[in-house]
Amino acid sequence: MSAADSKHDNTPDAGPATSAPNAWVVPSITILVLFAVLTAILFFVNRGDIIGLAAPVVVPAIVAALIPQKHGWRVRLPLAIFAGLAVIFVSRMMPAVAVDATDVAEIPKEPKTLLSWLLALPLLGAVAVLFMPRQAHKTLQWTTLGIMLVTLAVSLPLMSITWGRGYHLNQDIPWIESESLHFSIHYHVAIDGISFWLVMLTTFITPIATYASFGSINSRIKDWCFALLLLEGGMLGAFISMDLFLFYVFWEVMLIPMYVMIGVWGGTNRIKSAIKFFLYTMFGSLMMLAAILYLAYTFGKAAPGGMTSFDYFELQRLVLPRHIQIWLFGAFALSFLIKVPMWPVHTWLPDAHTEAPTAGSVILAAVMLKMGTYGYLRFCVGLFPEASGEYGATLAGVAVLGGILYGALCAWKQDDVKRLVAYSSVAHLGYVMLGIFAATQASMEGAVLQMVNHGISTGALFLLVGVVYDRRHTRQLADFGGLAKTMPVYATMFVIATLASIGLPGTNGFVGEFMIITGTFVSNKLGHVAGIQSVGAAIGVILGALYMLTAVQKMFFGPITKSENKHVSDINGRELIAVAPLIIMIFVIGLFPNIFLSGMRDAVSRVASDYSARLEPAPAMNQRYLTGPIVLNPRSSDAPPAYVKPDPAAAKADPAAANGEAKQ
Amino acid sequence: MLLSLFPQNDFSLIAVILGMPLLGAFINGVWGKRLGKDAVRLMALSAIAISFVAALLTVSALYGAATATEAAHGGHAEHVKLSWLAWEWMHTTGGRETNVPIDLKFSVDTLSATMMLVITGVGFLIHLYASSYMEKDKAYWRFFCYLNLFIFSMLLLILGDNLPVLFVGWEGVGLCSYLLIGFWYGKTPNASAGKKAFIANRIGDFGLICAMFLLVHYTGALDWAGIENGAGSLVTTAKNTRIHLWPIGGGEFVGRLAFLQPHHPVTISAATAVGLALLLGCTGKSAQLPLYVWLPDAMAGPTPVSALIHAATMVTAGIYLVCRMSFVFVLSPFVMVLIACIGAATALFAATIALVQNDIKKVLAYSTVSQLGFMFMGVGVGAFTAGFFHVLTHAFFKACLFLGAGSVIHAMHARVHDDEKSQDMRFMGGLRKHMPYTFWTFTFATLAIIGFPLTSGFFSKDEILFRAWVNHPVSPYAERVSTLSKGHLHLYEPPTWIGPTLYFVGLAAATLTAFYMCRLLFLTFFGEFRGWTIGRPSALLGLAQSKHAGGHDAHGADAHDDDDDDHHHQEDLSTPGYAPHESPWQMTVPLMILAALSLFAGFLNPSVFKETLHLENLPLDKWLDPVFDEAAKGSVKVADNAHHIELYLTLGAFAAFAVGSYLAYWMYIQKKGEPAKQLAESAGALYRGALNKWYVDEIYEATIINGTDALADTAASFDQTVVDGIIARLTSLIVAALGTILRTVQNGVVHVYAAVMVVGIAALGFFFVVPHPDAIVTEKNGDYVLEAAPGYGYGYRWFPDATGKPLNEIFNGETKLTLHPQAGKTITAKLEVVNAFGLTRAKEFTVERPADPDKNMKLGQNP
Repeated sequence: MSAADSKHDNTPDAGPATSAPNAWVVPSITILVLFAVLTAILFFVNRGDIIGLAAPVVVPAIVAALIPQKHGWRVRLPLAIFAGLAVIFVSRMMPAVAVDATDVAEIPKEPKTLLSWLLALPLLGAVAVLFMPRQAHKTLQWTTLGIMLVTLAVSLPLMSITWGRGYHLNQDIPWIESESLHFSIHYHVAIDGISFWLVMLTTFITPIATYASFGSINSRIKDWCFALLLLEGGMLGAFISMDLFLFYVFWEVMLIPMYVMIGVWGGTNRIKSAIKFFLYTMFGSLMMLAAILYLAYTFGKAAPGGMTSFDYFELQRLVLPRHIQIWLFGAFALSFLIKVPMWPVHTWLPDAHTEAPTAGSVILAAVMLKMGTYGYLRFCVGLFPEASGEYGATLAGVAVLGGILYGALCAWKQDDVKRLVAYSSVAHLGYVMLGIFAATQASMEGAVLQMVNHGISTGALFLLVGVVYDRRHTRQLADFGGLAKTMPVYATMFVIATLASIGLPGTNGFVGEFMIITGTFVSNKLGHVAGIQSVGAAIGVILGALYMLTAVQKMFFGPITKSENKHVSDINGRELIAVAPLIIMIFVIGLFPNIFLSGMRDAVSRVASDYSARLEPAPAMNQRYLTGPIVLNPRSSDAPPAYVKPDPAAAKADPAAANGEAKQ
Repeated sequence: MLLSLFPQNDFSLIAVILGMPLLGAFINGVWGKRLGKDAVRLMALSAIAISFVAALLTVSALYGAATATEAAHGGHAEHVKLSWLAWEWMHTTGGRETNVPIDLKFSVDTLSATMMLVITGVGFLIHLYASSYMEKDKAYWRFFCYLNLFIFSMLLLILGDNLPVLFVGWEGVGLCSYLLIGFWYGKTPNASAGKKAFIANRIGDFGLICAMFLLVHYTGALDWAGIENGAGSLVTTAKNTRIHLWPIGGGEFVGRLAFLQPHHPVTISAATAVGLALLLGCTGKSAQLPLYVWLPDAMAGPTPVSALIHAATMVTAGIYLVCRMSFVFVLSPFVMVLIACIGAATALFAATIALVQNDIKKVLAYSTVSQLGFMFMGVGVGAFTAGFFHVLTHAFFKACLFLGAGSVIHAMHARVHDDEKSQDMRFMGGLRKHMPYTFWTFTFATLAIIGFPLTSGFFSKDEILFRAWVNHPVSPYAERVSTLSKGHLHLYEPPTWIGPTLYFVGLAAATLTAFYMCRLLFLTFFGEFRGWTIGRPSALLGLAQSKHAGGHDAHGADAHDDDDDDHHHQEDLSTPGYAPHESPWQMTVPLMILAALSLFAGFLNPSVFKETLHLENLPLDKWLDPVFDEAAKGSVKVADNAHHIELYLTLGAFAAFAVGSYLAYWMYIQKKGEPAKQLAESAGALYRGALNKWYVDEIYEATIINGTDALADTAASFDQTVVDGIIARLTSLIVAALGTILRTVQNGVVHVYAAVMVVGIAALGFFFVVPHPDAIVTEKNGDYVLEAAPGYGYGYRWFPDATGKPLNEIFNGETKLTLHPQAGKTITAKLEVVNAFGLTRAKEFTVERPADPDKNMKLGQNP
């Protein structure tokens, strides 16, 4: 399907009647001129400067000119802006081939409180929305969207940061503390090259989902806006929290709005699905809470001052014996794997997706599921490396068999489009988990990239399913057929998203899957089975094509069998604006993945090398663990400086010392 | 001069070659509908034309560079490349944790240059042809958008400098093929055929992905030069670096599964594994056994598509890949022989089906499959130039045949307005008189394919058959491996009878080719036009029945009416209708050019005459040799008597042509097809088998497809019932059951509450009345301190030795007892507690001091 299968010309097709002798002169001259211009551009591709300067202007102009006039400027302008932004993004972010030494020396100043702003905006916005009149639908909607766009804008400066191995924008403030009880919880946020892309994904997807929901959510708009903002705040918080207690708070905060969104604005079985979603997630998170408390308590016992800590970097110092580690690992992993979701605790996902409103599905698939994969990568691998190593190979088997293959087979047999996409999520996240379990540089980078990819392509698919649901009020594949004829633009978009989902090279899906599969094969963490697991993951590529193309055929091709499908209107301006950024990103990531990979490379290498450093000294599983009393390692050199209680006198004398290294 | 403008390692002219078709696709796709047909045509044609011109320039630059290097190296031809890096794409991790960069890099060497010329040149001719053929289609712009996109993807495939970039093109052509087969997506069979093609290709792509990760692991590179450098490490002697097939991955079965452990692990070398994986990819793309099934169905697409994608270019990508990676394939003689055998088997198998098909496009489709088999046979015996030469000639004559068939269908369709009947040869005949240009060009192309002496097909097929007999693939590492492993490891060496067998199978296929192609020619162009009968109800009925009885199941549908207008042409059933007419010049000119090429392209490589005419340096041989130089070293043993038997082998090939075509002449011209009918009746089972494609589709349906289907059904219902049933429903059931039980207690009757409260208070009271001796044991420097748990009104009495005397006879407030056991010894102490009611209870505690003072102590255990 070409990008323009679509273009609805109001004039009847140019048959023999309209091709009068002169009818083709003007367009063909235009084409030739364009030819000349573009040939020139092609010639200058290598020089770089022309592309950088002219393309951000030329491309939007072309895009704006190309969009059919049916859509007014209110559609054409945003789309043109998206195109321009995409070009700027690519030309600015493309990693330079050779870096000048002078560039390296100059480290730009980082806005220290940026993360707090990022977090505060949606949360305060949510509170602000509560004080607005319930009847002012438009105001509520646009305020919400405005807040989200500001959040997106606030997150943009992150892109100028040079991500190394370490953490950036570290902010560490005591929150709940008691000297006498040896108890301290901090408000500690920081970001590294891994969470950076997930934060960007969140701030990018949420406004899109929100904007798309304006057409389909017509009741309780105030509550809806509140839930969305709270959800965004919760998700952002979970990605940047470096204090486990704080992380847990945000982990639960984002659960509630989603529960409400499914339960209030969902489909016919919404209550049941919402409760199922809540109970599954809650079961896991309570286990995790217990584990967090035990971990903090254990740290308190081992630490010299006897001070409990929930700080990630402090807890990372703990080396635990096997009988403690496997339980804690189990509790954390259960919580994250439910969220991913991995077989066999995945059945909440199809139900939740089927019943959730479109925007809910988009956010759930695009961001919330990543919480599980991100959590596993950061907390399970980071805090319990030996246990992760011991169970990694087994879990990788589950990811391949239960996720990639079983999920794909289940997806093939679904009658409901949303259920199908939901099961495809199970399969795709199987790839992500496999990449994390394999824990090589490429497979982990692929996994993080695939998290972003899945957010974009599956987000687009859910948005598009929502479009047809709004028109036909059904999601059964059997109720469609031949829609390519009545909804050509829609069909084009859907096919592009489908191709991204099945990992066609040139789209984003391929890069992630390729890196994961090749990275898995060379992994030494999976033992003998690395080869067969790579092969299994590669078979998933065939199955992916099978189920997605079957769905596409049933929806769009063949004759129109149902009379209701004869007069379905094509995708409208609002929906087009919502889905366009995702479609653009599909190609941007597919063609320029290095932009994304270069940001995360060092952070991933840190995770991988820390992990390997703990596993590799002993080849046998049970020898890797600590046998003696609990040991505290020195703080990692990549960790941000530890919190030091400000001494008022010293702070006055030397303000810089407050942030200095802590020597214990 | 060109090289001064575009340096050899930054040859950005490639951007133009690639960019033009992409631009054409983009503009036609986005603007096409508003531009009108003329502009779309102009756009599409000029894009390919510019690309072709750029390709010509590139080839001339390459020639210049090659001659310059040859002169510099003292007359020795070197492998010269012009390359261009677009941008850095991504990277992955190699075997030794090395970073393997994967760039969007393109390169042109003589092999890809030749393919590039074919793609843009033949591509342009087919575009020109299609501009007239598709004239009446409403989605004209969409067609050219896809077609241009196809050319772009195909060029990407050819020009990619590494395997992932090739893979982009590889999947890209698959996508375009999917879109073009399903171009008239309104008809379910077309959409299904497109899907079938895509999925069959995906199975092949799976192989390619596997090959990529194997290569990354073993050679640490994915670009051609890097793979070539690291190819040596694919032939491994060490046990642990070989690929273990059983036990999977090289583990060991122990315990109950020990019976699964084989005596010697089943292993293959990495070279064989990579070769097999790549071969799977090639069989998918090039429609070989067992993955050929999509190609005949793909004829549902418009005929120019069949000519371009499913005959001339895309399906030869598999052979291109084998040629491109020849240095990897030759490392495994097993894979080489397998390629040759697959090729020979496919050539024969497809030819038998082609014998009896009635749909003109189906015959050509099976013929394509069969010819691709010949190419596989060629490259499989290490004759890469010969195999590739057949790719070249096949591109010309098969494109010409398909376009000719399209011209016939075009004419027939104007006459009968029925998709299936306009392709059915039983309604054709005598078209020679009505469409002379089509007839002559078609005849020339037929002569080429059946191997009429001195035509292009004669030279290329003859060379393949000759090489099949005399070439014997061996591993270039055979001796080294055998010495390194001290004779433990023997590399596979193909049996000697394989060469002659391949030759005779090829000969049989060539005979059949001559027969079915002549049958096609005679049925279509000779005799009387049988199409007059269509439209007469009685005749129609009779034919329909006979057709039904034959079980003919043609999916082929070549329609000129867009799917939108479902109106049926009301046929005038009483008059014969218009006579078929010759096609316009846009269609006949490409036919003529291609026919000329089919006749004369053979002189690029007339290897038969190499000896007799003392030809030094055949043009194609010389041009391609540097590419295959590396692979040719020591990988093929040529029979000693090759020169002596060449003439006889050539005579054999000539005999195949003569016998096949004479049989067809006798059957269809002299006897007017009577023997064919008798044969069909007398060998009914065989005939029906061939007509129904030996039921391969049905067998696949019954086994693989239904098997997967059943597996998926099982998975889906397992998910619903078992997984969800146990984890969600069973747990909720347990919780609900517990709730139901507990609810009976919460019944709101105050008496019951009061009674329960009394029981509770009584229990608490009992707890307080009885004393509870307990203590916490802590250790410091070998001192074990027992600290008794506190309680209201408790008094304590300690017994340092459980059996001995207490420290104090009377109970007091002393809550601590310090013990100091010897290392490795245990002490059992006793605590007695008295409470305010005067009741006493005692409990014993055992402390054990470990022998090793460094070890952590065990906590005190209760007796």
